[in-house]
Amino acid sequence: MNARQSFEAIRALMRRAINELTRVPGAAIPGVLAPTIFFLGLTSVFGSLTLLPGFDTTSYQSFLIPVTLMQGAAFTGAATGVNLARDIEHGWFDRLLASPAPRPVLLAGLVLSASFRALIPATFLLIVAFAIGVEWPGFGGLALALVIVMGMGIVAATWGASLALRFKTQSAAPLMQAGMFLAVLLTTAYAPLELLQGWLQDIARLNPVTQVVEAARQGFIGEDITWAGTWPGLLAVAGLAALFTFMALRAMGKMTA
Amino acid sequence: MSGRLAANARVVAALGARSVRQTVRRPQLAAPLIIFPTLLLAIQTGGAGGAVDLPEFPDVNGFLDFMLAGAMVQSCLLAGNTGGIALALDIEMGFTDRLFAAPVSRYAVVLGRLAGTTVLGAFTAVWFITIGLIFGASIEEGLLGALWIVVLVASTALAFGSIGAAIALRTNSASVVQGLFPLVFVVLFLSSAFFPANLMLEPAASVAEYNPLSFIVEGLREPIIAGFDGGDELLAVVSVLGVGAFGLWMCALALTGRVRRGV
Amino acid sequence: MAAIETQQLAREFEGGIKAVDGVDLAVDAGEIYGFLGPNGAGKTTTVRMLTTLLQPTGGRAQVAGFDVASEAGEVRRKIGVALQEAALDPLMTGRELIQLQATLHGLARERGNELGDALLGRVGLTQAADRRVGTYSGGMRRRLDLAAALVHEPSVLFLDEPTTGLDPVSRQAIWEEVSKLNAEGTTVFLTTQYLEEADRLADRVGIIASGRIVAEGTPAALKADVGKPHLELSLADQNGNEARCTEVLARFGKPLPSKDGKLLVELEHGTSEVGPIVVALNEEGLAVESLDLVQPTLDDVFVAKTGEHLEGSEAAEQEPVAG
Repeated sequence: MNARQSFEAIRALMRRAINELTRVPGAAIPGVLAPTIFFLGLTSVFGSLTLLPGFDTTSYQSFLIPVTLMQGAAFTGAATGVNLARDIEHGWFDRLLASPAPRPVLLAGLVLSASFRALIPATFLLIVAFAIGVEWPGFGGLALALVIVMGMGIVAATWGASLALRFKTQSAAPLMQAGMFLAVLLTTAYAPLELLQGWLQDIARLNPVTQVVEAARQGFIGEDITWAGTWPGLLAVAGLAALFTFMALRAMGKMTA
Repeated sequence: MSGRLAANARVVAALGARSVRQTVRRPQLAAPLIIFPTLLLAIQTGGAGGAVDLPEFPDVNGFLDFMLAGAMVQSCLLAGNTGGIALALDIEMGFTDRLFAAPVSRYAVVLGRLAGTTVLGAFTAVWFITIGLIFGASIEEGLLGALWIVVLVASTALAFGSIGAAIALRTNSASVVQGLFPLVFVVLFLSSAFFPANLMLEPAASVAEYNPLSFIVEGLREPIIAGFDGGDELLAVVSVLGVGAFGLWMCALALTGRVRRGV
Repeated sequence: MAAIETQQLAREFEGGIKAVDGVDLAVDAGEIYGFLGPNGAGKTTTVRMLTTLLQPTGGRAQVAGFDVASEAGEVRRKIGVALQEAALDPLMTGRELIQLQATLHGLARERGNELGDALLGRVGLTQAADRRVGTYSGGMRRRLDLAAALVHEPSVLFLDEPTTGLDPVSRQAIWEEVSKLNAEGTTVFLTTQYLEEADRLADRVGIIASGRIVAEGTPAALKADVGKPHLELSLADQNGNEARCTEVLARFGKPLPSKDGKLLVELEHGTSEVGPIVVALNEEGLAVESLDLVQPTLDDVFVAKTGEHLEGSEAAEQEPVAG
């Protein structure tokens, strides 16, 4: 298969993945609403945390928005894993495996569609957030946040896909969701590092996603976007995506072994 | 007459056992009840634990003690949602038709599902009390307080389960019930489940003051962080009864509606 | 050239279970090969290995001249696969599914559209092409699945139980299509639960049991192998005539124990003896009330070789052929 044929195949698989949203009435609603509900809810509940000494941001909403954006992307990505598990259970994936399309093409279609789908809840969330007064992060800050959203969509989708291909059952869904949930929240999601409880501080320091949260947060909390504050986050996204892609492709290879 | 009552009781017990088994065997169903609330409890305790230093925060041993009640009601709400999904799936698959065609009361069929939800609720209470004790929380009211919490959580699961069941009976669609999942969090965030209402931001703070779920949470929280408070416990019981009565009434209406429509 | 050739093909799963244990197959180009076996006999595992969905753990298999393990990509280009009943996406339209399949095989879009339209017409789905698969009947789904498997003009077609659960009319339509494809030169490897299907379509039949091929040959040869046809007849006037009748029948073949008041005789030389028997009885003045020629069925073959009935065999034919 040449590059053009591969591209066409990826496009066709992406189009099919989008059907899950466009052709199932109401299917898009929970995925779009959930991050916004979490955002509004968590900021209402924990908003007073900014009063604590050591919390330099005055708006908890601006502090939390990058995290909720990433959470939305993570859940969209995990849903891709669940859908793949269903496709495997129903035998649909055999149809793809029996075709001569290269295995990475089969994965790319799913994963890239997750990356674009992640923009849907993000857009809705940002509109609501700006409407209630979240600080404008500047075009650079917004662009960086959206790149990270798409990147986290890929990370979550490759993670979900690797589990789907490994376990071949929708029963693995909680693992897909919980894994991403923990990855995003075992970070400086709720408060700056110094204000976290000791055990969470230790985990957040080691968790590469903390770098992603911090990178995405720069513009929203009024900091200048610096390369020094950005590259660790981008590297973490790229590294995780590469790791999970490798795991997914290996699991796909094992399916026919 | 008593024979029929006994027969119906057996049906309720059998269906309750089935629904518990169903949940335990399916990670997709068990995860929302136990795993997610537990993870959220850990993350919120670790992430927002500094809140205990806020002025006006109630006097507690630790943030975990404060959060336990929130985790329990979260489980109850999710149990209600999950039970509704399972019932709707039964309806979609035609399983309930088989039961409705049997010589048992239609109410027994629904009560069986709710019995399962109640047992799961009691289980989550025991789970979170255990988790709390392991990780350093304490229950001020002691064993009696713990028992009271189990009973109250189980009743709360039953009450919210009846609402989930009513929606399932009304819509016959698992995806509709599943779609209500975000609503669970709206109700939670608009209550004092995760934070003292007086420290929450407006407008959520005002809603939380009057949300019946807040009353239930406070009734669960007091025995943990301070000890029984007669007024709080009474409000909690009245709220559970109110939610339960509303849910069961909705179930009854939905069941009568089904008979009338011939389904 | 053989379209499918295996030597000692084997697949062992974790725990040492040998699902397929040394299978030798040689399916000629242009042949329809029927593959039968009870559940768990290794039928599906064999098909999955031949379609590159599962690697063999022993032996070799070549499909369309390529090795299924080392040249899987080449094999996939050459084969069409209609694997399972449910392997269709209910949210896609029939046309979209065909187009996706064409794209996966690297066909240019215009070419894919063109071929897709032609195939949809061929399986009678032009009207339904833009409806979602979720609204299709079972027969329509199978026809769509068949069309999707054909979009890249494969030289070898794998059909896994293509008519299971279908009504007789839909089954007939699939059969006709498969026969037509075969006439155009496509090799067909067919698994089925229906003996009638194998009998009707397959040039040769292989029976797998416990991971090994236990019988192979043309349906007629396999049937001839397990037994000869026999004649069942009843007389208009039974009283006292039976002994005389048996005497006549014995001239043509070995009399068998009578059953339900009918006299049975095994025919040594096959069906050509039916006429002479009737003439001989007539000459003896014995009036025949009914006469049935009973042929061995593939189910008899199946029972003889595997000790089990084929699933669905009660639905298959057991009908006596009128003499």
